[in-house]
Amino acid sequence: MKSLSEITDFYYTNLHPVLKELEKRRENVKSRILMVFGVVLLMDFMVFSYAKNHLDWLFFTNVAILGFAYKFLKQDYTKEFKDRVIKPLISAIDENLNYSKDEHVQEFKFISSQLFATTPDRLEGNDYISGDVDGVGIELSDIHAQKRHLDSKGKESWSTIFKGLFIICEFNKKFSARTLVLPDVAQSSFGDLVGGWFQSHNSARGELVKMDNPEFEKKFVVYGSDQIEARYILTHSLMKRLLEFRKKSSKNIHVSFIYSHIYIAIDYGRDLFEPSVFKSLLDYKVAMDYVHTLYLAIGIVEELKLNEKLWSKI
Amino acid sequence: MSVGFIVVIVIVIIVVLMYNSLISKKNQVQNIFASVDTILKKRYNLIPNLVSSVQEYMKHEKSILEDVTKLRSMANKPNLSDEQKIELDAKVSSALRSIMVAVENYPNLKANENVMHLQRTLNEIEEQISAARRAYNQAVTDYNNAIEMFPTNFMASMMHYRAKKVFEIQEAQRKNIDVKELFDK
Repeated sequence: MKSLSEITDFYYTNLHPVLKELEKRRENVKSRILMVFGVVLLMDFMVFSYAKNHLDWLFFTNVAILGFAYKFLKQDYTKEFKDRVIKPLISAIDENLNYSKDEHVQEFKFISSQLFATTPDRLEGNDYISGDVDGVGIELSDIHAQKRHLDSKGKESWSTIFKGLFIICEFNKKFSARTLVLPDVAQSSFGDLVGGWFQSHNSARGELVKMDNPEFEKKFVVYGSDQIEARYILTHSLMKRLLEFRKKSSKNIHVSFIYSHIYIAIDYGRDLFEPSVFKSLLDYKVAMDYVHTLYLAIGIVEELKLNEKLWSKI
Repeated sequence: MSVGFIVVIVIVIIVVLMYNSLISKKNQVQNIFASVDTILKKRYNLIPNLVSSVQEYMKHEKSILEDVTKLRSMANKPNLSDEQKIELDAKVSSALRSIMVAVENYPNLKANENVMHLQRTLNEIEEQISAARRAYNQAVTDYNNAIEMFPTNFMASMMHYRAKKVFEIQEAQRKNIDVKELFDK
């Protein structure tokens, strides 16, 4: 696996001709989108006097037209961006990785992670990366898992269970129990006393496992089916590394250890690796968003030292 | 229903809850100690094999090997208290570590497949023991807190519950202890 600065170099030097070409397409897409926006605005003016009493209806039509146009106009540009920028970027990070822009981590794997208490009714995703890094099997993708709700009138609505990056890696220890490491929502919102009581009574998730690292305990709550095995997995050094990883991603992370695999869900709340439309692809911030996120996700193997083979797995 | 009756019921419920929570904490300590014990035994069972594999080479470290064997037979005695087991574990841990350090001085031994395998198994068991110790310490801390904190402390003293000892994860464990010095004390 190459270093972060090497990858940044690769983005700006090797990919530069492609990026310049894509920049033209981006400008084109952007002006078309703005044109559609202008037309919609004009239409709004024209129909305003008739639609005065139906402003909510007007608003939703606008959103629908703009959303559809945005997606439609961006389609080809997105495809090209992923094939010519994201794919080479991933191969540059590690040549043993495969990329498929339309696939995602399979639904049964998402469910078997047991990270989320609700089973999704709809699961979408893209940007599937798989392969091995330093001999450790890894797969990851964007995932959007949703739950379907019906109100008393039979009206359907959808809520998000999880939207972000979902990573699965082989873990370097054998274990048979289940251990969940979740963001500590209860303790941080209700304080130690009440929050702690809530945590210890969340029996659906398993037995509460109190860890001997105060900082870790503040950020996470651990549930497990075996008190000893949970600590066998979460050594002092792994707890430190998970804290470090959380800090780097600056997002909420959910981690589970099941069937000798580690499952990590990073709550980005958006679709990653999509081409930027309103900002230049050569913009440092935009570039770093792609490079950093990819590096953070694929770098999990080194970050958590999953490539250090332990005795039990030799 | 009189107010007095309600108060009595509430008090009874509180007493039952306190009693049950103390019992469950005590049982948790016992359960986890049972697992600790199982893993410790796994390590004790490795000792004869280890000693027989290395004694041919380790002429200078004969006393460490004898000590380790002695500790093993002590650990196998029935009716040991939890405290005694904890103490023995600490001694065995340092003795085994010194043997492993000594192995480094014998290139023939280091390359020996049997010794390498033993070393791997020991390392793995050490990790498991360390996890078990941490789990035990947490259970004991919860238990000790309950018997010292108000209001469960009254009930605990009526039930004759005493504070328990935790495994000390000594800083010294990270260093290489001279086991001879430990026994000459």
